[in-house]
Amino acid sequence: MSSRTYDLSIAVPVVERPVPLDQLYHEFSKPLRDAGYSFEFLFVSHPWDRARTNVLAALSVAGEPVRLIEVVQGGETTLLKVAAANARSRILVTLPAYLQIEASVLPELVARVRDGADLAVAWRSQRRDSIINRLQNRILHVLVGSLAGGRLHDVACGVRALRTDLVSEIPLYGDFARFLPLLALREGQIVEEVQATVHHQAMQGRVYGPGVYLRRLIDVLGLFFLIKFTDKPLRFFGLVGTSIASIGLVLMIVLLIQRLTGSGIADRPLLLLSVLLVTLGMQSIALGLIGEMIVHLSAPQQQRYRLRRTSSPARTDAA
Amino acid sequence: MAIKGPSMSARPELSVVVPLYNEEDSVPALVDAIRSALAAESSWELVLVDDGSADRTAPVAEQLSASDSRIRLIQLARNYGQTQAMQAGFDAAEGDIVVSMDGDLQNDPADIPKLVSTLEQGYDLVAGYRERRQDKMITRKIPSWVANRLIRAITGVMIRDNGCSLKAYRREALDRMYLYSDMHRFLPALAAATAGARITEVPVRHHARRFGQSKYGLSRIFKILADLLTITMISWFGERPIMMFGLAAAGASGLGLLFFALSLHSLDATRQRVADAYIYPAAAFLWLLLACYLVMLGLIGEVAVRRLKGRETLLPIAIERSL
Repeated sequence: MSSRTYDLSIAVPVVERPVPLDQLYHEFSKPLRDAGYSFEFLFVSHPWDRARTNVLAALSVAGEPVRLIEVVQGGETTLLKVAAANARSRILVTLPAYLQIEASVLPELVARVRDGADLAVAWRSQRRDSIINRLQNRILHVLVGSLAGGRLHDVACGVRALRTDLVSEIPLYGDFARFLPLLALREGQIVEEVQATVHHQAMQGRVYGPGVYLRRLIDVLGLFFLIKFTDKPLRFFGLVGTSIASIGLVLMIVLLIQRLTGSGIADRPLLLLSVLLVTLGMQSIALGLIGEMIVHLSAPQQQRYRLRRTSSPARTDAA
Repeated sequence: MAIKGPSMSARPELSVVVPLYNEEDSVPALVDAIRSALAAESSWELVLVDDGSADRTAPVAEQLSASDSRIRLIQLARNYGQTQAMQAGFDAAEGDIVVSMDGDLQNDPADIPKLVSTLEQGYDLVAGYRERRQDKMITRKIPSWVANRLIRAITGVMIRDNGCSLKAYRREALDRMYLYSDMHRFLPALAAATAGARITEVPVRHHARRFGQSKYGLSRIFKILADLLTITMISWFGERPIMMFGLAAAGASGLGLLFFALSLHSLDATRQRVADAYIYPAAAFLWLLLACYLVMLGLIGEVAVRRLKGRETLLPIAIERSL
């Protein structure tokens, strides 16, 4: 159990885009210092990024509260979890290692968590961004926003304040750290949004390669499945399977009628297609059933709801 | 077991669990009705489960529980759905006998004593069935009739009305089953399959909705069918998935052999073009491919059973008969 030495820990996973980390530190520590919080900056990084983290030594020598933690393995989600495990404060602020929004919003985010929210996330209300990025952002929000029931306006903003313990209360793995607020909502945590201004130096017009978009799309697909169907895989695989199999079945019936009315079907590739569709559909249904079985078997080991509170403490009659 | 002072009541004998979702209007009347229905019972508790209501259900229930120590409120962190709300209530309930019912006043709490006395005749689960159901014909009664027929035929549990929430359970039965997804609809079948529960049913009253909106629609038919397939697997094949997948694989192999037979048959008749000789055998191979795939899945299922079936799983309910 880590001690609670500071008011805040600011976790900075050092990945991708290069911004001088000392500039980042000075800019984002200022409003927190002005608001009177005691804090530490936790930079979590990979050893191969030393070129970027070297500047931190100078900060540390100058007496600034910065720590550097290195992990050899894992992506952003792992870095976030490592930061939470090492944080010496009850409240954690996550900060991407680039200039996403103006630093002035940080005290407000922290205040929300102090007032009882489990997580407060910045919401970039007016984005200055390239057309392609904005388009991608719109698509992402149409896809992901529905999962949040319209309660999140900016699902991917990385600037957040949260209870440090929250990180361990949510099943986080893969690339799902990006969607932390959404997952927190699904766990019944209180999530609030704070409007923020996009950073004046935020890089504009940066366009990602197709690989990044593909990965993100797969991410969203995984998230969608995770949230909608983890407890009922057959609803997903069954729907896919029955749709495919019924097309195949219709084709088969058509072929059967043709066969019975006298025309041969042994030379019809359509027969092959129909059998292929039916078998594919059945595979999907069978997979869904295996999924259901795993859910059923693991049900006793997992509480599937979270309590907000109970009116009176349960009677404790075991001495 | 130590009872701490006179103010601490001992465990109640009977727990009534009521999931509530946006029922601010019905809660006070419901609590009154339960109170008067249970006036003759010696010790009971009422567990109200607020399933993340958006209206004033929680504060209203909170007030009621503050005025009566027998009433408890469990508040879920968000709206999880009726099944999870019921399970949360079961987990919190302390009675040896637990009764569940809807919070919309369509069930009548006056039926609770009848359910409990039936349970005490030697059953682990007593389901109520709505004798004169007060619901819409097309969207509620007809789908429900079809669904109940299907559930009965498939699971072999002879319950007329699976959709009625008014049920009584023995603690031993609840300890052996876990509700998830939308499984509350198949509760008796699940109880029979996983707890080995002795099940019966009694007629109960049913009233037309007084407050609020019904929270169901026709869209659930597909979901029910998918869940029905799951419960079929659980109640027929339980811990032997390879059985089910093996049987399905045998079916697929049969079709494969049929297509091989067809290919032999068509050989002499239509061998004018190369394609003729290939399509039937190719279709046969596809069926055999499916069969292999199903067998492999069944084996993975066996692995899942071995891995996930905890050692400490309770044995089914067993009763020693005096000879």
